[in-house]
Amino acid sequence: MSAAVDPYAAARPGGGVRFLPALNPIAKLTAPLPAIALLLFARDLAVPLAFLLLGWVLLLVGAPLTARAAALVFLVVPAAAFLLSLGFGLWVDGSRVDGSVVLLAVGDYRFTLGMWQVGAATALRLAAIVVLSLTAGLTTTGPDVARALVQQLRVPYRIGYTALAAFRFVPRFAHELDVIRQAHRVRGMAGGRGPLAGPRRVLGYAVPLLAGGIRHAERVALAMDSRAFGAHPTRTERHLVPFRARDVVYLVLFLAATAAILLTVPTLELP
Amino acid sequence: MTAAVPPLAAHGVRIRHDGAARHTPDGADLEVAAGEVVLLLGPSGSGKSTLALALDGLIPHALPAEFEGVVRVSGVDTRESTPGRLSAQVGMVFQDPDSQLVTGTVLDEVCFGPENLLVPVDEVLVRAEEALRRVGLWERREENPDRLSGGGRQRLAIACALALRPRVIVLDEPTANLDPVGIEEVYAALAEVVAAHDVAIVLVEHNLDQLAGLVDRVVVLDRDGRPAASGTVDAVLRDRADELHALGVWLPVAALAGLRLRAAGIRLEPLPLTLGELADGLDAIAALPDPPAPADAAPGSEVVVRVSGLTVQRRGATLLDRVDLEVRRGELLAIVGENGAGKTTLLQAIAGVQAPPRGRIRIAGLDPARVDARTLARTVGFVFQNPEHQFIRHTVAAELAHGLELQRLPEAEVAARVEELLGRFGLAELREQHPFLLSGGQKRRLSVGTALVAGAPVIALDEPTFGQDRERAVELLELLEGLRREGTTVLVVTHDMQLVADYASHVAVLRAGRLVAHGTTREVLAGDALERAGLRHPPLARATRALRHHPRWRGITRLAELPAGGPG
Repeated sequence: MSAAVDPYAAARPGGGVRFLPALNPIAKLTAPLPAIALLLFARDLAVPLAFLLLGWVLLLVGAPLTARAAALVFLVVPAAAFLLSLGFGLWVDGSRVDGSVVLLAVGDYRFTLGMWQVGAATALRLAAIVVLSLTAGLTTTGPDVARALVQQLRVPYRIGYTALAAFRFVPRFAHELDVIRQAHRVRGMAGGRGPLAGPRRVLGYAVPLLAGGIRHAERVALAMDSRAFGAHPTRTERHLVPFRARDVVYLVLFLAATAAILLTVPTLELP
Repeated sequence: MTAAVPPLAAHGVRIRHDGAARHTPDGADLEVAAGEVVLLLGPSGSGKSTLALALDGLIPHALPAEFEGVVRVSGVDTRESTPGRLSAQVGMVFQDPDSQLVTGTVLDEVCFGPENLLVPVDEVLVRAEEALRRVGLWERREENPDRLSGGGRQRLAIACALALRPRVIVLDEPTANLDPVGIEEVYAALAEVVAAHDVAIVLVEHNLDQLAGLVDRVVVLDRDGRPAASGTVDAVLRDRADELHALGVWLPVAALAGLRLRAAGIRLEPLPLTLGELADGLDAIAALPDPPAPADAAPGSEVVVRVSGLTVQRRGATLLDRVDLEVRRGELLAIVGENGAGKTTLLQAIAGVQAPPRGRIRIAGLDPARVDARTLARTVGFVFQNPEHQFIRHTVAAELAHGLELQRLPEAEVAARVEELLGRFGLAELREQHPFLLSGGQKRRLSVGTALVAGAPVIALDEPTFGQDRERAVELLELLEGLRREGTTVLVVTHDMQLVADYASHVAVLRAGRLVAHGTTREVLAGDALERAGLRHPPLARATRALRHHPRWRGITRLAELPAGGPG
């Protein structure tokens, strides 16, 4: 059983200019939040573009990226944003935007630059939100988030560490679902017909999956109980995730950059 | 805590699970002295595992059950503490290696318990290193536990228990989910722990062939979970073996062989418990009668399954490499091999579960790559490892009828055939029951029934005995043997070599995707193909192959081949 994503994998070592992995997860997760909130309401092209660039620069400089992660950030995200911009653009009511430049005409239908710009604004907002989130997502491990929640935010450790144990369920469930689908296909469930066949099939998978999942969860709980989990209100922490001066600096600089973008970037009002 | 207080003392323990009709165990006593190794035996259903859960307070604290009697852990009544706090005194190792993992690395996993006990960091690391070195995992401390084999994960679970520095460790069927190599690994680790003499052990186990040397005392529960015997290995396993056998307790293979030979007038004194003792005991006898002539099943003439040049590749890896195989009508073929050797891939290709390449397989005259699901169901039935995975209806009867309805048979015929199968598989009284509410053995029988209901002449089973106790495994194999005698061709993937020896007519051995041996069980077990494929001979064969005298006995691999007094 191999997980596509290993939530426990050690972070790639940072060091030197690769500063992101060494920061506290809380700082990394909270710093982009104001910017993300702003992006939800942005209506133009320039502000999302500026935040997208900010995220890219942070990742390029501060994160030790694998080839796959780099491809995701610098190729997949822009490509997806481009496709989305076209997709969203098609939905725009052409009569309400500037229709002077026609990009494509099929019969009566006209796809104009104005429509595409509206689509691009939405797509860019999404891309910027994704890239800003990835500044934390690609440089933080699951266990460190749980530890920081417990150590800085005083989340009870029973909750933090249970969440951590739950990560193990994901690849297990994926594998089990595969086997169940196979088994049901063998029994001849695949050939069902009628409008209800699909939902019925999914419901058929849910019963054995839940039964197996609950049993597994009970066993894990027993194993954790018998290793003193929850015996005391606190536990020894071998890995401290301190909140240091540099985390404050990162937060302050990020907020400053957010404010600067908001105030100085010339708004490219939509036509 | 003085040494005089026993680490563990249970008296008059009665436990009834919520919803269960009776108490199992019903009045169990168990006392464990410091440093003592106790083997807890009992027939299936006697409540051994339930008792084990009560020994560190999981019952009554974490599991809903009615609990009477008293369990004291180093003098503390478990009802007045919690499993968490008791775990500083009692470590637990459970059956399923997958469900005991919490953290992301081997080292973090071992540290998890001591950290919860507020042990200072330096001390946590000292304990972790000692525990990991003892089970041989220190070098792999940085790895994700997922990457360990089943045996490795169970050794890790033992290390986790050791790191709590308890006075006693309770192991509940720690090898039931492992292949033979994993079982050996766990026993080697356990022997290291026992040799260090600093912790008592309570072991619930049914793989007994390698245990006799480790155990100080054996405690036996009867069918009701009441104490039936307690004493040294000699006093209980050797001297009262007949009694335990009659009670339904699984004995070491060597002891079963010894009992059978006694009935035939060949007395091995004392009764052998290990394979070495069995071989030595037989060698010490001057003359043994010739074993009964081997009764190989008469080979059927008709080839039912033909695999020719089958190669299966997935994601760039070659899972099967030019496999050729012929199976004749009425054979019970065991497909064996290490994990990853391609056993399941081969079985799924033959049964069309994963579409095989065209033109490589003929099964009852059809190519599974070219037929539709309905025709396939009439040709071959497939039973998955976990029977729950393949249940799709809400009652036992509907579950059996499902395959027939897909064949669009007339209603009366469906009803008659369902009735017949309900009787055949002992499920008649449970016809309206939901399949998920059946017991483990009943679920297994129902899954076999649903695979055969459409009249398939071939049935394929993927590790059907995995994680089951001995009694249920034997029950299933008896059922398959019965089907085979009636002419069904049975293909089964399994790790259990003694079951292979006792029931299979033929064996196919896979190594790294290639078929390295195929023949009758007798032929394959006579050679060294199993060892070359990273497997082990079944226990009885290991004893007879070690004989220095009695060359005619060296080929004996199944208990039924030993001379016996009466019938059977």
